[in-house]
Amino acid sequence: MRNHGQISLIIAGLLWLLAGAVDAASQRLILTGSSTVAPLVGEMARRFESQFPGVRIDVQTGGSSRGINDVRKGIADIGMVSRQLKQNENDLYAFTIALDGISLIVHADSPIVSLSKTQIADMFTGQITHWSVVGGTDARITVVNKAEGRSTLELLLDYLELKNSEIKPHIIIGDNAQGIKTVAGNRNAIGYLSIGAAEYEVKRGAPIRLLALDGVQASVKNIHNGSFPLSRPLNLVTASEPQGLIRQFIAFAQSSQVHDLIKSQYFVPVDAD
Amino acid sequence: MFEMMQRIRELSVQSLVYLAALLVSAIFIWILSDLVRGGIAHLSWEFLTESPRDAGRAGGIASILVSTILILLVALVTAIPLAWATAVLLAEFIPITSLFGKVVRFSLYVLAGVPSIVFGLFGNAFFSIYLGLGFSILSGGLTLACMLLPILTATAEAGLRAVPDNYRLSSAALGMTRTAALIHLIVPAAAPALVAGLLIGIGRALAETAALLFTSGYVDRMPGSLLDSGRALALHIFDLSMNVPGGDAPAFAAALILVSLLLCINILAMKLAYDLQRRKMMI
Repeated sequence: MRNHGQISLIIAGLLWLLAGAVDAASQRLILTGSSTVAPLVGEMARRFESQFPGVRIDVQTGGSSRGINDVRKGIADIGMVSRQLKQNENDLYAFTIALDGISLIVHADSPIVSLSKTQIADMFTGQITHWSVVGGTDARITVVNKAEGRSTLELLLDYLELKNSEIKPHIIIGDNAQGIKTVAGNRNAIGYLSIGAAEYEVKRGAPIRLLALDGVQASVKNIHNGSFPLSRPLNLVTASEPQGLIRQFIAFAQSSQVHDLIKSQYFVPVDAD
Repeated sequence: MFEMMQRIRELSVQSLVYLAALLVSAIFIWILSDLVRGGIAHLSWEFLTESPRDAGRAGGIASILVSTILILLVALVTAIPLAWATAVLLAEFIPITSLFGKVVRFSLYVLAGVPSIVFGLFGNAFFSIYLGLGFSILSGGLTLACMLLPILTATAEAGLRAVPDNYRLSSAALGMTRTAALIHLIVPAAAPALVAGLLIGIGRALAETAALLFTSGYVDRMPGSLLDSGRALALHIFDLSMNVPGGDAPAFAAALILVSLLLCINILAMKLAYDLQRRKMMI
């Protein structure tokens, strides 16, 4: 009797596997790429699936470079890339679905409200070591940098026209949440993170301040109108001119139907007003 | 004077040993209390029965729990027979000095030292792409199985070797075949060691993030089959704390669930081993 039970269990399991194989034949899209974009696209995919039953969209991560790689190799239908495409990536088609900006942050008690690009570059390369040089108190600056491979780091380096080896950080951190905690706990620290996440944390009462950059306030509004210099597009990329379901999904991701999702992930819709 | 010195030395060694043990449990309690403090408010029945919404900030972890358990089952069902059979061969059928045994053991040691991200990339290249399993629970589970092989084999071999040779000699004297002695005597006697190895393996499998990112994937939907992609619990916690602003509370709650799951599995497995040993050996 007991053996019968076990055998039927195994058969049921095999049937389930087969059923899955048949099921997999229905329309399916695979996306891979940036871990910044993945949670947003995951939510878009969920809404898309509910509107088009029978379609399955699998969102995977692994970083922007992986997204580009997988699309080129044909492993993924669409790649997610949290930066502008580079010169040698001209073979791909990019579609911007949202924008993200990066803000320099200091502790809320700091008297500093704005910095220029050269001041920031000097701080991060260790040429300015005290806040008094830029109009603050006579305290040593603690430079908080991101770990290698983070796209926010790449974007900042690109903006400051520096290499990572030129930066002299005192603390190296991984994610946004850690950055907020580090700066909130140190009155003399300067760090940077995604503006959407920073504004959200300020609303939740974290003692941090977003610095204006060359006089332009770091805000979602200024990313949207393009005046804030430190921002990046979040792209979907394909290897060829998108057709069929791929095209349908990209159009959906760029439509106003998903603006609420973009805002709830603290990014900025491209054509919102 | 001499006696005095000796007593002081004795006492200080003793207190150092106690201190070390206290520190070890303090770390565990600290982690646990941190998890409870951060996650208890977010825990509810719905958290266990709903699928995640809003990138994991709302909803629950039901689909992720199901995927995690399926990945674990695939890994164990694949790895246990291979690992334990290898261990039986190494411990019972060939001499410890044999060249073949040395080669097998050496390859297992090397495998044990490989970082999990390498397993992940291998699994992605072999199971997902070469064998065409794609991002699926099956390829994730098989990748984990490769990771578990060295742990399960090494612990099982050590356990079998720890069984006194008297057992083997007496069973031979009683005319038992080698297989019968193995099944009825030696494996039950080694059961606690087998289970201990199994628990380490399960712990490692449940905690695995890097190896699963590129194999079982990131999809947080309820899996419909083993060929669907399914997000593991550890990966979900990683994603919530690294990529989702405001994902801290659900991440803590999910971590609390992960630790509780591990505790439950531990208790269950220890009880099973105890029962097996009693049934087989104490009659």
